[in-house]
Amino acid sequence: MTAKQWDKVATCVFWALGIIAIAILAFIILEVLGRGLLTALNPKFIFGKPKAMGSGGGIFPMIFSTLYLVVLAIAISLPISIGAAIYMAEYAKKGRINNFIRFCLDSLATLPSIVFGLFGVALFVTAFRWSYCLLAGAFTLAILNLPILLRSTEEAIKLVPDTYREASMSLGASRWTTIRQVVVPSALPGIITATILPIGRIVGESAAIIYTVGVFVRNVPLNPFDTAAPLAGYIWARQAEHGVPDWKTIVNGGAALLLIMVFIIYFLARWAGNRYQRKRLLGAGNK
Amino acid sequence: MRAVNTQEQGAEGMTVEKKMEIQNLSMYYGGFKAIEDITLEVPARRITALIGPSGCGKSTLVRCLNRMNDLIDGVRVEGDITLDGESIFRPGYDTIDLRRRVGMVFQRPNPFPKSIYENVAYGPKLVGIKKKEELDSIVESSLKKAALWNEVKANLRESGQNLSGGQQQRLCIARVIAVQPEVILFDEPCSAIDPVATQLIEDLMAELKENYTMVIVTHNMQQAARVSDYTAFLLVQEQGEPGRLIEYGETNTIFTNPVDERTERYITGRFG
Repeated sequence: MTAKQWDKVATCVFWALGIIAIAILAFIILEVLGRGLLTALNPKFIFGKPKAMGSGGGIFPMIFSTLYLVVLAIAISLPISIGAAIYMAEYAKKGRINNFIRFCLDSLATLPSIVFGLFGVALFVTAFRWSYCLLAGAFTLAILNLPILLRSTEEAIKLVPDTYREASMSLGASRWTTIRQVVVPSALPGIITATILPIGRIVGESAAIIYTVGVFVRNVPLNPFDTAAPLAGYIWARQAEHGVPDWKTIVNGGAALLLIMVFIIYFLARWAGNRYQRKRLLGAGNK
Repeated sequence: MRAVNTQEQGAEGMTVEKKMEIQNLSMYYGGFKAIEDITLEVPARRITALIGPSGCGKSTLVRCLNRMNDLIDGVRVEGDITLDGESIFRPGYDTIDLRRRVGMVFQRPNPFPKSIYENVAYGPKLVGIKKKEELDSIVESSLKKAALWNEVKANLRESGQNLSGGQQQRLCIARVIAVQPEVILFDEPCSAIDPVATQLIEDLMAELKENYTMVIVTHNMQQAARVSDYTAFLLVQEQGEPGRLIEYGETNTIFTNPVDERTERYITGRFG
């Protein structure tokens, strides 16, 4: 074959591989929505209470549990991540300690989530005597997400140009003032975007929460120390136990709703990040 | 026209008080000696220009004057610099206070990603000025002194980064003025902006001379000749050697009748 023909073949192959990637995603989305969209859009299902026995149960407490868990887990992990990222990006000298922290974070990131779940049971549920509750799950998920959140927060802080730091210091600002007034506000759009991935993971996580938060509740949990049932865990439990006659409908509808929730959160976070960026950094690229 | 005035004043050679004094200064980046044994006086309410080919240490030297080099790891200094007779390297010397007294305008305009107003109010807020009227008046007077007020007074709430390059640089000058420094350092302030904006900034410097001591680093000899009263010429003799001060004197003398042959060669454009 000539070079030209090879080129054609290569183009086709890469094009096909790209299509496969899209096709897999599209298949999953269509399959999940196809099975469950009708149930997921039914107000009775979305806003109804679940039933322990009998058909027709809704999943509102589960949706609420998931969102509550997201808020708690991010509220716990974001300040820690920002603080640690500031230390690593602004204060820590390049060298052994920094490398060691990175090594620990990378190791933490590769652990399977069930390990975090069991750790959460041992520490929060048992040792702290919190029992199954939102807070135990939130701490577990906060630890689970720390590596990703910290790394991406650090990247966002590192993207702040040094000229801002120089300008601030040259005006007689201390290092801390510079970080607080200039560095963190400039990095904030990036930090907001950095929370998208962990939020998606929290919404979809089941292994780490089935033993720490719970898999079934009848009512909306309000107190962080209440037992709750995030959607992903509830879907798993219904699929595993077949406890009600219409378990299939609940599983399919729940999965579709979960997918829709992740999309909504993703676009909201993107929108918030962009909006903030437009307000603060108008024309930042015109240098 | 102002530039001509500037030179005449310099040529009168009146005895001027010295604001800062650099004594036998050497500076190292780790093991690398960047500048060696520089002794120089910075006269009060005059403009001193540092010229020389790139890499001669003029930016390094000017960054010693407000100890901005401290921010880089592994920097070491020998010799001394005084401000109003007091050593700025004295143990316990307050670098924050030093940087308030010795402000700096950088090579590239670097306004914060904040509004024009917030950019100028940043320094005053650092020293605890909170009252709105007080901040308003500082912002207005600083922008006026930086010859930017008329262009921006209608949109103070807009991002400082939306301004043109030259306006951004004047905003940075206003931001420095708002801190009420005694000395302003300019590190190649016009290298990233167009000739018209450069002209504006040079005019501005001539005006500011009444109240401020200024040091300007420039690679542009015409600019040094136009704006400065005193000129110092720095040079790296051979690759790898530190930058040394070759000649220092009134700008007129340096440009019309330099003592050192190397100065003459540089000024007439035969190397560099």
